[in-house]
Amino acid sequence: MTTHRNIEFTLNGRLVSAQVGNHQNLVEVLQGEGLFGARESCGQGLCGCCTVIVNGSAVSGCLTLAPLIDGADVRTIEESADGKLDVVQQAFIETGAFQCGFCTPGFVLMTRQLLDAHPNPTDDEIRHYLAGNLCRCAAYPEIIKAVRLAAAKRKG
Amino acid sequence: MTPFELAEPRSLQDALALLNTDDPSVRAFGGCTALMLMMKTGVFQPTCLVSLRGVEPQHAAIQSDSGVLRIGALATLTAIGGSAMVRKAAPVITHAMQTLSNVRVRNVATLGGHLAHGDPHMDLPPVMIALDAELTAVSVKGARTLAIADLFTGYYETALAKNELISEVRIPSQAGRRSAYIKCTTRTADDWPALGVAVSFATDGKVIQDARVVVSAATEKAVRLRDAEAVLNGATVSDAVLTRAGEAAAAEAEVVGDARGSAAYKREMLRVYAARAVKQALAA
Amino acid sequence: MATILGKSNSGAAMGRSIPRVEAQAKVTGKAEYVHNLRLPGMLYGKVYRSTVAHARIRGIDVSAAQAVPGVYAVYTAADIIKLIPEPYYGPAFHDQPILAVDKVHHVGEPVALVLAADPHVAEAAAQLIDADYEELPAVFDEVEAMTSKAIVHEVLKPAGTFPDLKHLKGKRDTNIALDFHLRRGDAQKAFAEADHVFEHTFRTQQVLHVPLEPFVTVADPTPNQLVIHTASQSPSFVRIEIARLLGWAENKVRVKVPYLGGGFGAKLYIKTEALTAAAALLAGRPVKIALTMEEQFYQITKHAATLRIKSGVTKEGKVTARECEVWWNGGAYADIGPRVTQKSGFTAPGPYDIDHVSIDSYALYTNLPAAGALRGFGIPQLVWAYESHTDMIAKALNIDPLAIRRKNILREGRPQATGTLMRDAGIEKVLERLAERMNWEKAFDRVVVDNGKGTLRRGRGIAIGFKASISPTTSVAIVNVSADGSCMVYCSTVDMGQGSDTAMAQFAAEALGIPVESVTVVHPDTDVTPYDMATLGSRSTYHMGHAVKLAAEDARDKLMQLAKDVGLSAETTPIPDIFRKKYGMQAGNIVGIGSYIPTYTSPDASGQTDNATPFWMIGATGAEVEVDTETGEFKITRLVNLVDVGRPVNPAIVETQISGATMMQLGFTLFERMDFDAGQCTNASLADYKIPGIRDVPLVMENEAVDMVQQSGPFGAKGVGESGTFGVSPAIASAIDDAVGVRLTSLPLTAEAVYRGLRAQAGKPLED
Repeated sequence: MTTHRNIEFTLNGRLVSAQVGNHQNLVEVLQGEGLFGARESCGQGLCGCCTVIVNGSAVSGCLTLAPLIDGADVRTIEESADGKLDVVQQAFIETGAFQCGFCTPGFVLMTRQLLDAHPNPTDDEIRHYLAGNLCRCAAYPEIIKAVRLAAAKRKG
Repeated sequence: MTPFELAEPRSLQDALALLNTDDPSVRAFGGCTALMLMMKTGVFQPTCLVSLRGVEPQHAAIQSDSGVLRIGALATLTAIGGSAMVRKAAPVITHAMQTLSNVRVRNVATLGGHLAHGDPHMDLPPVMIALDAELTAVSVKGARTLAIADLFTGYYETALAKNELISEVRIPSQAGRRSAYIKCTTRTADDWPALGVAVSFATDGKVIQDARVVVSAATEKAVRLRDAEAVLNGATVSDAVLTRAGEAAAAEAEVVGDARGSAAYKREMLRVYAARAVKQALAA
Repeated sequence: MATILGKSNSGAAMGRSIPRVEAQAKVTGKAEYVHNLRLPGMLYGKVYRSTVAHARIRGIDVSAAQAVPGVYAVYTAADIIKLIPEPYYGPAFHDQPILAVDKVHHVGEPVALVLAADPHVAEAAAQLIDADYEELPAVFDEVEAMTSKAIVHEVLKPAGTFPDLKHLKGKRDTNIALDFHLRRGDAQKAFAEADHVFEHTFRTQQVLHVPLEPFVTVADPTPNQLVIHTASQSPSFVRIEIARLLGWAENKVRVKVPYLGGGFGAKLYIKTEALTAAAALLAGRPVKIALTMEEQFYQITKHAATLRIKSGVTKEGKVTARECEVWWNGGAYADIGPRVTQKSGFTAPGPYDIDHVSIDSYALYTNLPAAGALRGFGIPQLVWAYESHTDMIAKALNIDPLAIRRKNILREGRPQATGTLMRDAGIEKVLERLAERMNWEKAFDRVVVDNGKGTLRRGRGIAIGFKASISPTTSVAIVNVSADGSCMVYCSTVDMGQGSDTAMAQFAAEALGIPVESVTVVHPDTDVTPYDMATLGSRSTYHMGHAVKLAAEDARDKLMQLAKDVGLSAETTPIPDIFRKKYGMQAGNIVGIGSYIPTYTSPDASGQTDNATPFWMIGATGAEVEVDTETGEFKITRLVNLVDVGRPVNPAIVETQISGATMMQLGFTLFERMDFDAGQCTNASLADYKIPGIRDVPLVMENEAVDMVQQSGPFGAKGVGESGTFGVSPAIASAIDDAVGVRLTSLPLTAEAVYRGLRAQAGKPLED
């Protein structure tokens, strides 16, 4: 019985390989690579703390089986290695759109996806797109402001 | 979670062969969201999982075929939600998608898994029943056609055999028909619904014909409400008719209570929501 | 430009909305949490928990778990006792065992622990443990617990930390952990003389904190010390309590706390620390215990409560007497419940000037998961009751809700129920500003034109509450000025999202007159940062703020003296030049120390004291709702939150604290409720226990800190974290009543409850 396997995937632009158990999830794989920005919290795909971008679309890392990442393009909040902030991150800082910061990587990644899909989102679109991310500190009003600001910044 | 084998067949036929076993812990998945939750809580401990992600891409295709909308069972909910073809043929599906689970789940969850899970709180079962959709179920023994109205047999129970998979869903032409789906969440906005109501009907002038009224979430399974449909069929819409239809729906449905609301309350909500769903469909 | 003392070139630090000092780390996912920590040789612990609410343990079979390949060890209380003979902990009572000893007291209580290098192995093995129980009668309701034959703990074991609990030592066969009584004037006589007497009973449900970072601790037994990395709001307490359990000196235990992924009162005192520490010492290896979201539901919760309020009122609406009886459902362990009972008892009659007051407040043990402090320390439960009661009286007497509050409000300089005079308490200001923002004295249209449906009704409500700070408590801080003029603040205040690192940097910068950008804050490490009672009860801004200010002033004075000693003026010389002149090179430090404990007078037997608190927190909310009369569904169309936080240290962060507190209380008001079946929580997950999401934010939400200065506070500031919670629940309940005439007296306020009220009102009650 083979319950473990070697996988190769692109992680934030670099090819990496890892030995994983079929029962492990993507968050565990990332932890093995020293990346902790995707965090398992609710464990049910409801809070968005474990958001990861796989082949260009957002997934819940805690619900993604590790072996399925084989061959995928995986991007995380740690993508920008030089520490340069993108407009979404800048907007989150400028509007104070977080408190404890535990959910913040998920919100930043989902906001990027949102703006890719809707460059000029209405408040209703923002609320629906981000409905799958929870912030117990409830920085929601500031997050909505941050999305609007980031949209404006993207237009430059 | 405990270790298991993972098979990744390249064809649907190979997948079906792998599922042709007496071992109840061998199961197939598309998005693996619902299954993952069951495994994480230890409710389900597989010996082998069969990933359907590698099978032929046509099983995820969305096509229009002489007025019939054909959706491959492996189409993700995001693909369905964003499909112009779906929006044109059945905008009620596009609309329902906006509040169905969340973006990340929709990105991986598939139509086949969504239906086969048999969870009465899901949004598309009532919609599909209202649209009179049917599906193809396949196994090593061959294929069969099943109306989605006949798919759900109980709480998390379906008419699918253990070794059977859904391969395709077909939605007949909705020309001349109007539809709506509304749901009621009694706690947060993103909660599972306490009640879902889908309606679809044809109109001849102001007269309603061939109505389908479906309740979900408040009942053990998504189910048509024939008495409510009978009130609507042949009737000209008026507040009195809608009231009677709502009352018929409430009287007929086998509503169950849970943490989202008592059976008595949900029944009252069904009475109101059934009428509102018809109104919404007329306004659409 | 080099920094000159007192000459910050970026302007004053206080009152500026600078971004959080850790902002970049948080948006890049690099902020440090215990969650991230893994040590060489580390084992993961998985807890096997009780499945019954109250039982004697006949036996625990761990053999199957031990036999699982990869399992390092399985421990039960029998193993813990070898290391710690008296394995009981708790801030008020030493009632909580590290692992269940002889008896289990609630479903979810830790019974055994599995250690393995692979967490999946530990988890699978834990599922193989089997305990044999002899079930005992259980008690779940707080009022029943007063007289129940089911006794949760046979003997009470006060910790001795609090002088006012010592008399309970050795008390047997009672579930009353603490009873607090306050008497002022003669309430009974006043009731007899009153024009009207009103009495109502209110209920609140059991809820919980749900920080998105669940409890997590790593314990590392190094040769010289036990190092505990933990997501704790009280590192100093953890060190002292673990040292006490082990019989060690404080300096043999080192507690380190990075950022917290939320706390809200959950991560106080001992939570996962004692079990992790004991396991690491038994195993001789680093151990990590990280709870799942589900397990959080068994760890700590917020008290459900039953509150009975009775008021004597004149026909003009002046309240002359008030009697309050409060029963707090503390669950199986006292945790900090007795403090909740006493401190909230101080303000149980509300922010009203009432001559005759009688308060009885009881902390009760039941067989439910333990309850502790949650953002408000019991105050939101009390405000829910006394503000609902106020509006019920107003309605009965046909007095406007604002008018009855104006008539009774506790004004500056007047004695409060404990006898303490109100000082720097903006109760009146907050109320008046709320009335202004709500346009309260303008006409309000209760009928909504909604496309002819005719089923919507509008309503509005206001509510105001106040809270005493937890006192007396100590904070100590160190401010270290380096030779280049940069500065570090060492303090044990935990930044769990409230922005304390930023606030402390602002305090130090303000006191030294240097740019806030040149200040960093060292995270709690009990080997490095000095004692702090805990990060709780909105105390840090005031207490640690004072300590940091004192430490900075001490450093400033020393720096000025140093300059003087070397013949320079600190007022004109850049700081680095002073050091260079003294040491001949970039070398040396100036270390300032600050220690702060406010004055306090313990209440006497009647609950009377002239000094109950160093400062008062005030919060009020106004709500406008639309109710659907066909379904009972309602939507909050506007929520206005007003607070008195003294002078805001960082107005932008203060606003997020107000709205964050409000949203959390909105969850407790509308959705959140732990459901139980025979003591088993049946909705222990975020799929079934729903917390507010972004679509639940009211369409219009406004927050404001009124213009106030806390004269005794550091630079005029005081606490802010809880005040936004106070008025939310009663304001919404009153708005619903205003809209459709349905008065709800139990939380949460569900659409079903409103609907049932409407049906009852129509004489057609909904039958089940």
